[in-house]
Amino acid sequence: MKFEARGLTKIFPAPAFSGGSPLRALEGLDLEARPGVVGLEGPNGSGKTTLFKTLAGIIEPDAGTILAGGEAAGPGRLRELAAYCPSNTRSFYFRLSAAENLRFFGALAGLSTAVALERAKQLAEKLELSSADLDRRFDRLSEGNMQKVSLIRSFSRRPPLLLLDEPFRGLDADSQQGLLELIKEAGRDSAVLVSSHAPELLRAAAYKVLKLEAGRLAGEAL
Amino acid sequence: MNPAAGTTAFAVVKAFIRRDFLTEKSYRLSFALGALATLANLAVFYFIGKLFGGAMAPQLELYGTGYFAYVFTAMAFFGYIGTGAGSYAGRLRLEQTQGTLEAALSTPLRTVHFLAAMSAWNFLFATFELLVYALAGSFIFKLDLSAANWPAAGLVFLLSAACFAALGILSSCFVVLFKRGNPLAWVLNNFEGLLGGVYFPVAVLPGWLLAVSNLLPVTYAVRAFQLAVHRGAGLSELKGDLLVLFLFDLVLLPASAWLFSLAIKRARKTGTLGGY
Repeated sequence: MKFEARGLTKIFPAPAFSGGSPLRALEGLDLEARPGVVGLEGPNGSGKTTLFKTLAGIIEPDAGTILAGGEAAGPGRLRELAAYCPSNTRSFYFRLSAAENLRFFGALAGLSTAVALERAKQLAEKLELSSADLDRRFDRLSEGNMQKVSLIRSFSRRPPLLLLDEPFRGLDADSQQGLLELIKEAGRDSAVLVSSHAPELLRAAAYKVLKLEAGRLAGEAL
Repeated sequence: MNPAAGTTAFAVVKAFIRRDFLTEKSYRLSFALGALATLANLAVFYFIGKLFGGAMAPQLELYGTGYFAYVFTAMAFFGYIGTGAGSYAGRLRLEQTQGTLEAALSTPLRTVHFLAAMSAWNFLFATFELLVYALAGSFIFKLDLSAANWPAAGLVFLLSAACFAALGILSSCFVVLFKRGNPLAWVLNNFEGLLGGVYFPVAVLPGWLLAVSNLLPVTYAVRAFQLAVHRGAGLSELKGDLLVLFLFDLVLLPASAWLFSLAIKRARKTGTLGGY
């Protein structure tokens, strides 16, 4: 499925009575993504996370449209089509095991328990996450293993649009290699957007890398 | 096929109940202390009841029962329906501070399913507490509930629980929008018990407070439930209170679900869904 963003604009208002000014995160951004892997790079605050969250239907743009398969897709439709892997792991239930977390979020995404757990097992193997770690309480996992669970949550949905925000963060070399293979595999059927501050990993993952600056695409990165 | 198409309300509710049960189980002491607090609360009113003996206050004549039986029934009833009023905002705030709210709402989960599931565990636990109250009432405090009209009490119960769940959902809109500072929760926590006849019949209130009390659904809920349980009142006697509760439901249920959707939409617009 082809995804197009046209003139995406997102301005975060300043908190009331703060005296601050609104934050212009996206400034009329245009983007096209087909099955395959596209990399995104840009300095901190250039709008990568805002772009991902907008494409995932988590936040609503102030202007612009997003098309999915040629049809306008609102936030609700985008949440059906896209899975977003955030750049931090503070989005899990720390008192539950990794597997229980994946089972829960799988249910919210419409996966049966059997499918969610089976996919979790397969993906864990590729990311070198042991079955003991899958059964371990989330707050007892290392940062790197938490990141793997976060990746598994997104990959297991097998969405038409996969948005990976800093997916290599905290992973060791072998796991990075496993993730590169998973990204390549997902890119056969899905449009995959990956952001990273590690240029060599981004280039290994994507067939092209786009540069984002001040909320706009500034062409292909060299 | 898009996997979200298979998401059913039942699957979502089941997933939330399992999650909350496992989480609660991981805090064992908290569970035990909660149960003890319920018993301690009951003991306070039992001894107050003993202090005043079996003498019936004139304000209780309408219900045909003594003070302890009155307050015991009201607390058991209010403990359950109050779950709806308090748990939505509490649960939502917890999700915000844990950072899981945005993650849950970045899935295709429908708002109605989310609302049905969010407090399902709290209602289940409240049902268990209600059972404890019922057993304690029958076997420890030997309450006489032989006159009770249980079908009528059940109807009052359903209408009241729905009404308070709607109030709870309305209250959680403030949590979505402002994170902290919830005027509706403040009113529900501080005035429902005082003005709604939970700890004493509203007849003891002065006229101007009685007028305020008549604006609250809890007043109708508690009165109707007490009458059904202690006097065996039927539908003809309770029709006024039932009608008021039904009207509250008719307005509050759709309004609360709609306003909650608007609050979530607003948070998506301002980018504050993940904030706390």
